[in-house]
Amino acid sequence: MKKISLVFSMLFLFAGMAVAQRAVSGSVTDNDGNPLIGATILVQGTSVGTVSDIDGAYSIDVPEGGEVLVFSYTGYASLEVTLGTSNVVNVVLEESAAQLSEVVVVGYGTQIKSTLTGNIAKVAGEELENLPVPSVEQAMQGRSAGVFVEAVNGKPGGAIRVRIRGASSISASNQPLYVIDGIPVTVQSQNASGAPLNPLADLNFNDIESIDILKDASASAIYGSRAANGVVLITTKKGKAGTSKIDFNYQVGTSQPTGYREFLNAAEYVELFTEAAVNLDEIEGNVPGGFTWKDWVEARFDRYSGPSDWRTGQTDTDWQQLAFADNPISQQANLNFSGGNNQTTFYAGLGFSDQQGILKNNGFERMSARLNLDHKSSDNLTVGLNFSLARTFTDQVSNDNAFSTPLQLIAQSPLTPARNFTNDPFQSGSRLIQPGELFDRPTAVYYNGLIELEESQRNVVSYRTLANGYARLKLAPGLVLNGEIATDIYNLRDDLFQGSITFGGQASNGYAYSRANQILNYNTKLFANYSKTFGSHNLDMTLGTEYQDSRTQSTDSEGQQFPVDDLKTIASAADITGGSSFLTEFTFVSYFTRVNYNFNRKYLLSFSGRVDGSSRFGINNRYGFFPAASLGWVLSEEGFLKDNNTLSFLKLRASYGLIGNAAIGNFEHLGLFAAEGYNGVSGLQPSQIPNPDLTWENTAQIDIGLDFGFLKDRINGEIDYYQKVTSDLLLGVPVPATSGFTTQTQNIGEVTNKGVEFVLNTNNTVGQFKWNTSFNVAYNRNEVTKLADGQDIIDPGSSRLMNVVKLGQPIGVFWGAEYAGVDPDNGDPLWYVNKEGSGRETTNNYSDAEFVALGNPSPEWIGGVTNTFDWNGFNLSIQFQGVFGNMIHNAAGSFMSANGDWFDNQTRDQLDRWQKPGDITDVPRAIFISGHGTQSRSSRFLSEGSYVRLKNVTFGYEFPKKVLDNIGVRRLRLYVIGQNLLTFTNYDGWDPEVTTDAFVNNTTFGVDFYAAPQPKTVAFGINVGF
Amino acid sequence: MKSFKYLFFLMAFSGTLVSCDSLLELEPAQNISEVLALENDANIKAVLVGAYDELGATNLFAGNTLRNSELLGANNEVQWVGTFNGPREIWNLNMIAENGDVQGLWVDAYQTINIVNNVLDGLDVVNESDKATVQGEALFIRALVYFELVRFYAKPWVAGAANDQLGVPLVLTPTRAINEDSKVARASVSAVYAQIISDLNQAKSLLPESNSWRADTYAASAALARVYLQQGDFAQARDEASRVIESGKYSLTTAYSDAFNRDANSTEDIFSIQVTSQDGTNSMVTFFAIPDFGGRDGDIDILDEHLNLYDPADERLSMFYEGNGAIRSGKWTNQFGNVGLFRLAEMYLIRAECNARLGTAVGDSALNDYNKVHQRARLSAANSVTVEDILFERRLELAHEGFKVHDLRRLQQNIQGQSFDANNTIFPIPGREINANPNLVQNPGY
Repeated sequence: MKKISLVFSMLFLFAGMAVAQRAVSGSVTDNDGNPLIGATILVQGTSVGTVSDIDGAYSIDVPEGGEVLVFSYTGYASLEVTLGTSNVVNVVLEESAAQLSEVVVVGYGTQIKSTLTGNIAKVAGEELENLPVPSVEQAMQGRSAGVFVEAVNGKPGGAIRVRIRGASSISASNQPLYVIDGIPVTVQSQNASGAPLNPLADLNFNDIESIDILKDASASAIYGSRAANGVVLITTKKGKAGTSKIDFNYQVGTSQPTGYREFLNAAEYVELFTEAAVNLDEIEGNVPGGFTWKDWVEARFDRYSGPSDWRTGQTDTDWQQLAFADNPISQQANLNFSGGNNQTTFYAGLGFSDQQGILKNNGFERMSARLNLDHKSSDNLTVGLNFSLARTFTDQVSNDNAFSTPLQLIAQSPLTPARNFTNDPFQSGSRLIQPGELFDRPTAVYYNGLIELEESQRNVVSYRTLANGYARLKLAPGLVLNGEIATDIYNLRDDLFQGSITFGGQASNGYAYSRANQILNYNTKLFANYSKTFGSHNLDMTLGTEYQDSRTQSTDSEGQQFPVDDLKTIASAADITGGSSFLTEFTFVSYFTRVNYNFNRKYLLSFSGRVDGSSRFGINNRYGFFPAASLGWVLSEEGFLKDNNTLSFLKLRASYGLIGNAAIGNFEHLGLFAAEGYNGVSGLQPSQIPNPDLTWENTAQIDIGLDFGFLKDRINGEIDYYQKVTSDLLLGVPVPATSGFTTQTQNIGEVTNKGVEFVLNTNNTVGQFKWNTSFNVAYNRNEVTKLADGQDIIDPGSSRLMNVVKLGQPIGVFWGAEYAGVDPDNGDPLWYVNKEGSGRETTNNYSDAEFVALGNPSPEWIGGVTNTFDWNGFNLSIQFQGVFGNMIHNAAGSFMSANGDWFDNQTRDQLDRWQKPGDITDVPRAIFISGHGTQSRSSRFLSEGSYVRLKNVTFGYEFPKKVLDNIGVRRLRLYVIGQNLLTFTNYDGWDPEVTTDAFVNNTTFGVDFYAAPQPKTVAFGINVGF
Repeated sequence: MKSFKYLFFLMAFSGTLVSCDSLLELEPAQNISEVLALENDANIKAVLVGAYDELGATNLFAGNTLRNSELLGANNEVQWVGTFNGPREIWNLNMIAENGDVQGLWVDAYQTINIVNNVLDGLDVVNESDKATVQGEALFIRALVYFELVRFYAKPWVAGAANDQLGVPLVLTPTRAINEDSKVARASVSAVYAQIISDLNQAKSLLPESNSWRADTYAASAALARVYLQQGDFAQARDEASRVIESGKYSLTTAYSDAFNRDANSTEDIFSIQVTSQDGTNSMVTFFAIPDFGGRDGDIDILDEHLNLYDPADERLSMFYEGNGAIRSGKWTNQFGNVGLFRLAEMYLIRAECNARLGTAVGDSALNDYNKVHQRARLSAANSVTVEDILFERRLELAHEGFKVHDLRRLQQNIQGQSFDANNTIFPIPGREINANPNLVQNPGY
């Protein structure tokens, strides 16, 4: 036993040359008397320490003068015990939410939080357990200051936007680097539909021990050219020596949308469109031949009503309801087995998660298995293996920009029956619609997306293997050599079949597409850690090298002309219309180092740096150096504060560093031609202009922070100010298209993020009734401070979307005409002219209105607060999460809120249209097919996007040990969990957490275009442990 | 001891990885370098094929240039009912500089021009025997693209005027780097037309009589005929059209409908964009047809104002069909069919119009040429013909093939109630282009 604790102490602590003066021993347990294994025991004011063994026992040689032992354990309040005469000290540690003495994972090592000089946010795995969401990022939402998480829409398994301390890039990635057990993993979406899926959803987050988010340069510089967006280190669970444990969790629940929009019913629809037609007739005056738009529109009503009679209101279809599934069921089951002995420990986890989406035919299923094995083959050598396999299955619906996506059903007319409800076939265009069959155009206004749901399928299956083997060799006291070989193999299949009456298949007797994609990402590293204590000087050094190679290959084919819809594979296609294969690759060769020094854990100093070389950079700039330095001062260790009973911990820290963003395309520095065939003959076209100087983006980040603890850290927290200046932005700089190219990738431009973060954790009550609060809030101001010479704006040039990159504005700022409401005299839409000197002058001519900045799609403030209550086995956790200060653009407003412009069903607020002189409203006069104020790039379709959400409520009951002992069960807990139960917002769309999947990119977000709302989920679950 | 075995294994493995610059030297698998792409005969010819491919982009001749002409000059004969904002703005004559279709045409046009400029610059490595043909095809493509650009983005050519109004930037050399020289200003309309005519005249003399689906000397003549007609140069237009007709290489299809929806060129086709199920998109089908034929939703309805023009016996009338609640053009129902750009009927009508206007009978009389087209539509022969008759015939024969707005302009007829050269009937210079190139002047009204 002693031997183990000794080795552990050497690995994790600054085990100095202890001067044995007095041997103290004892045990460390939790409230229930369970041993706490691996608790840290330190002699206060020295670097002497040890850890408890598998029985919770410890023994420590206390040097002369040592009077106080500090006991700490992750997730528990640390305890200081003043030594009396007894040499036996048994302690009971109380659980707590967050602690300064916890161990955080840093790049290539671990560190005690109190000695950190960088900013690292930690999320404990247990906070994520059992959450009814598909992916780890969603589970993290609202739990860390300055970490913005947004699901682009409510389709399970879809892309998630994560921004740590704001977006720093315009054209390279803004997603953080994800490192799972040391492997920089693949996170780029690989599926082919316009709705990107999230490769991280392959990870079963119930296997996670902790997530450590490296936010400032001091923490992240060791990841060099890939650290600018922050680094998320995910560590999976390990077994602990002792009795084997089996834990089983099962939960089942159901979801519904967080919100609905209100649309016109049949009577209102007829009223609005008839009025729109009459108004158009009035404007056009008498047309020879007696043509009137009223007749024309009524003829359309006839057409859209199919076999029903719109004049009697026979049909009033609620299309919105048809888009959503009827009580979709979600289930989760996890079975974990962990344990081990002194030599070998293991953690084995099996997971199953089936999240049925709120949209029809939309679901995500994951099966996963993990085995983490650690073996101490001798006192000096530890080897281990982390191995996980996952299969995910996504039943995908079309992207939000497709007629076939369920939520675009709301564009249909309420006059149109979804199906032929009569007993007779109905002639609709060239097709005879049988009783019970779905109507399509021309009876439906648009393609009936229900046909897509019934007659097509899109299945994406991924297989993910994450494996790494490591060996850790102790070469000399304090010197440990680590070697790791890791792979991340990501296989994805994407199969689409569209039957013969679907939109995609109707002209070609069915259509099928199939794609196989493989990413082989492998990674090796070799690094040494050295720690040494000389009296009061503590030194910890890391030096190493790493190599990564990622190779992506895909093959796809497509075919049409299927004999029957039952034959869905391309083998049955008479006409193979396409086939392709694709290969791309990148490599990184890196060298890194870190030196941490502290004097008495009072004065802290850290330096880290990395040299990265990458195949992605031009020949003139192939290697980059990314250094960071930081300082810390633990004031509470100073004499003047040391005995302060109120202030238990106070640390000032400051860091500065240079980090990079290398997440650009793989060959953007080369001048290239690509193959483009024509009529079966092969051809070549210029595809890229060279730039041999191309290199990473540089971010210089300053962070000043304060860590504090009051009342023995019962109240603790952090305040940080940071400033991130990202220069040499990799911009697809727009060049005159007359050159034959539209953009050239150049290192130009600058973006600044400045912000403040505040974290507060409190143990409000202790004892029988425990109440803990954890609060975080962050402000970030994002600004584009430089673009190419003479360039003021990057406008993708869309008349539907209005996110642009504009100097002096945040990335993605909404840029369009400023809506001034409706002229009360004539119902015309008005915009502010916004020309120089025009004041607040308005115009009814959209073209006369200058575009101006209309709002920021990124929130300025984000935050979360979690309260947990424990009482006699009952536990309640309530988490709120919110974002503030952002705007949302309803880019579908020009269709669905267009004062009766075309036959799309309209939102109910359009009933408030101008009708007679004097009417005060924001909705212009309804004039059919005239584009009367329907221009999408207008603040007419912008709304506030701030929201506060009751993100999670979990209420559980843990059966008392006494009861369980009788039935031979270690643990039994019943719980009910609710996700997204309440949303407080002024946004009148479906849900304010929105960025349409079809459009999402670095600069386009905060857009709602028929995007599925988030699910509101309630589930019941049980945890059983043996 | 055992531990050292692990260590050795580790070191051996890691050792292979350290300090290897060569690990960073990767070549792309889907692309080749500029030098390689232009280094030999075969590669230059491949680049030329690449130019045809770009010429057949949806924004260009796979249909959108044709569609845009029909939408601009809709004159209540067609109406846009689709959801796309871009074409709707074109049809409504309320385009903004950010219009995606307006930008797409510009971008793809200059991409095509850069590709052919690469070909023209690389002629030195082309086999001597093929050099003329390669050069001729490249010049033909360049002229075709400039003709579209100058007609959409500039005030129309007015016969007899100086035509020194702003045209489009003339770029005649390949782009190797982006610098100040890349910021080309707009040349005058007359300079652009001069370049087009010079390119086509060269192409006409360089190209062979026959060149499979590629441009041949008659395609160049057909293009010249169209350009001269747009300029009101009736004599030259007549002569070039006559050269095509008199070659005897082409003949009108027996049935009118046989001239359309072809997987391969018909006897009547002089030059077409080739669309196959593997490559290319017929975007006329996309917008004019209904989903049964691979179209969108039936985005363009044909209105009575147009349909009422036909004699009930006219075979051309019978090609229209009803689909998705409106009348549709039957010329665009094969989603993998070619997009015809020049066909013989147009040449007959050009020659007839010019002969009639000039009072000549080069090749044949105006009446005979007119009747060839008229009778093919199963209408009885006319005994006499006026310029107006010929123009009317042209309006029917070439309906929905992209002639509409250009004919209105040259005939100085109203465009949707606006004058033939009204500001809002001319495309804006794309906003992105104005931003990227300070030397460009925006069109009036934008």
